[in-house]
Amino acid sequence: MDILCFFYILILAKLLKKQDMKVEVKVMLVCLLFTFSNLLFSQQKISEAFFKKEIKERSSQFIDEANFNKAQLFFLKGKWDSTLIYSMKQLNAKTDIKELNDYCHFFRGFSFNKKKIFKEAQKEFENVSNDFAFHYHIKMILGGIALEQKKYRKAISYFDQIEQFDEKELLGIRKSNIEHNLGISYLPLKEYDKAEFYLVKSAKRQEADKDSLLIIGAYGDIANLYYEQYKDDLAIPYFEKAYEMSKRLKGLELKKIDVFDSKRKTARNMAVVEENRKNFKTSLTYRKESERWKDSLNNQTRIWEVAQVEKKFAVEKKQEEVSSLEKENKKKISERNRLFYFSIVLLGLLMTVGYFYREKIKANKTIRAQKETLDELNATKDKLFSIVSHDLRSSVNALKTSNTKLLDNLETRNLKVLDGLLQSNSAIVNGAYNLLDNLLHWALLQTKQSYFKIESIRLFFIVEQMAYNYKPLMLDKYITFENNVLKKDIVFADQESLKIILRNLLDNAIKFSIMNGFIKVYTQNTSENYCELVIEDSGLGMDEATRLELLKDTVLLSKKKNEDIIGTGLGLQLCKSIIKKNKGVFSIESELGKGTKMIVYLSKTLPNG
Amino acid sequence: MDNINVLIIEDTIAESDALVKVLEENNYTIVTVAKTYKDALASFYNNKVDIVIIDIFLNGNPDGITFAETINVVPDSSKPFVFLTSSTDRKIFERAKLTQPFSFLMKPFNELEILYAIEMAVEKFYSQTDVFLSEEENTVISEEYLFIKKGKALKKVLIADIIYIEVEEKYCNIITEKERFVILISLTKILELLDSSSFCRTHRNYIVNTEKIVEIIPADNLIILSGNHKATLSDKYKDLIKKIRTLK
Repeated sequence: MDILCFFYILILAKLLKKQDMKVEVKVMLVCLLFTFSNLLFSQQKISEAFFKKEIKERSSQFIDEANFNKAQLFFLKGKWDSTLIYSMKQLNAKTDIKELNDYCHFFRGFSFNKKKIFKEAQKEFENVSNDFAFHYHIKMILGGIALEQKKYRKAISYFDQIEQFDEKELLGIRKSNIEHNLGISYLPLKEYDKAEFYLVKSAKRQEADKDSLLIIGAYGDIANLYYEQYKDDLAIPYFEKAYEMSKRLKGLELKKIDVFDSKRKTARNMAVVEENRKNFKTSLTYRKESERWKDSLNNQTRIWEVAQVEKKFAVEKKQEEVSSLEKENKKKISERNRLFYFSIVLLGLLMTVGYFYREKIKANKTIRAQKETLDELNATKDKLFSIVSHDLRSSVNALKTSNTKLLDNLETRNLKVLDGLLQSNSAIVNGAYNLLDNLLHWALLQTKQSYFKIESIRLFFIVEQMAYNYKPLMLDKYITFENNVLKKDIVFADQESLKIILRNLLDNAIKFSIMNGFIKVYTQNTSENYCELVIEDSGLGMDEATRLELLKDTVLLSKKKNEDIIGTGLGLQLCKSIIKKNKGVFSIESELGKGTKMIVYLSKTLPNG
Repeated sequence: MDNINVLIIEDTIAESDALVKVLEENNYTIVTVAKTYKDALASFYNNKVDIVIIDIFLNGNPDGITFAETINVVPDSSKPFVFLTSSTDRKIFERAKLTQPFSFLMKPFNELEILYAIEMAVEKFYSQTDVFLSEEENTVISEEYLFIKKGKALKKVLIADIIYIEVEEKYCNIITEKERFVILISLTKILELLDSSSFCRTHRNYIVNTEKIVEIIPADNLIILSGNHKATLSDKYKDLIKKIRTLK
């Protein structure tokens, strides 16, 4: 009885177990489907970058179409509503380009799928032509929709169509993904062989890809597969493997939710497995763990939400900060600019002030220099005045006394003396006249009032004309005069000033000549540019010091060594100035006691200016 | 050869007297000494004047310049002139300079200077510079006269009086009714300056005044001129016959 009873219980338990299992399998299937869509999503994420790139490249030929371009941009950004609107606009534009329309329909179908409006999605995809580049994606999505709608056969037919292709041709669709979906599709149809085949294949691929989450999902699926077939021995290691793996998973920030979810699922699967094995205690611990993960998942979700809000808040705060900083920056920039302009203006002001200050200093300097020269000139003039007036005074005085004598002799009719007196008077007047003449020309030269024109002159005739006036004087001293200037000698000079020079030089030559001396005027043509006019006398000559003194600029010879002969030096000074004005050069050669050569270098060509 | 007629415009008697004395000593004929601008103009147009010596300042005004400007207005009747001045005041000179050709003489001046100035004025006026001072030439040719430097002074010969010119190297024998003399001038220059309608070359060495031709004997290559002068007519210049108006 006892034994009978025991058997009964055993059978019952077995039955119970079977019933229980069926329930659990159903639960698991739900969980499996959940896992599937989740997996699909995450797998798509991985290949998304590739997919987007392909979309961008292949559709770039149409970006001239504004609406399509917008639709494409929104599509890539994942803004489905906007994509739908713009692709619709593009379609309404009714362009005949097939590929462009295919893209639009594809975008719309994709977007509808994302929005879980499956019927519309299917309609859109039907409009896409078969040679469209992404038609494998369409198959994949349609398969997904069929799976979602539990039309497993249909789903399998879609997946089968694309399963045999290479990943390269699939443009971003994972082969493992297709195999996984196939496996899952076969599972509810109880075609375990095929399911096993595809799931294991998918798991192997995922193992190769080393994505722990996917591997765990794959293990879970395989375990479920075996469990459904009551191959517990095969299933349990997979469950354990999945559990162990998920236990080791460390949630990276982004995938935390996924990780917690997978931990929760594996723990729950273990709990179901243990419960079926009647290890209720362990089952309970697993279940508790599962609950814990569920909680933390919820927590995580909340934390995530809170974090999102916080992030938003922080972003807003940061934005505020940024804008306030921007404002501050603007203020600073404007302040800096103001300071910059101000400093430029200040610099300009400073430079102008500096410039004017320097100009003033320069002007002062010139004024001072001018004052000095003026003072000097004034002193010279005063000196000249005193010397000239002294000379004139003595001349006039001599004339006065001579005239008194003349009158006395006229009374006594002493005609012989009269002649001599008149001769001396004439000489005195001549001297005085020459002095006054020089004075006049000096004044005219200083004030630059006189007419001055450099032209070609035949030197011989000018010398003749000037010597003519001195013939009586020379005769007086028995001086022989020779004008040896060639008639063809031509110089360029101002005629009047040349006359003044000759007059003075001849006058000097006579003045410093002794009785029976000679005066020769001749030219030397040694230089190419200058004609040297030499006035040579056999007179007193001069020492080197006097010679140098005479050649110095603007020095009036005031020393009176030979009281009766040496004059003011005004004549020579005048000569030097005039020669300079005629672009000539003046020099003296002299030997004390033997005579003097006064040499005037006159230009043979018309000087410039 | 005749004396040169000089018109002196000078208001200071002492100076004009000195000037007259110097010029007369050098065989110049003084037409008159005018003391005012009016007198000067009257004398200038009523007498045969060859050259004018003008004092710039007449009674304190630069009327001398005004006179020069006036006679320059009619270029054909204008004559060479020399300004006399005692100042080299630039303003006055700037004005005087405009009466081209411009020559001037500073007071006081001696004999040589005034003679030189007259020569210069003639040269400049007839645009034949560097004649009297050079050793190669001594004659300036105007339309009416030859101005010849003889000794220190100038003389003139009426061109119409010339019967013919015989060229001997760089000398030219001038033969007139009354006299014959030698001038220094190149053949090319004399041919260029003499009026070609009345003076023709008849031979390498002969230039003949066509007005003075009495008879041409082509057979003997001979031209008989007035005063029984004879000139040679070479074959090269026989075209001359066609140019001369003959009685038929």
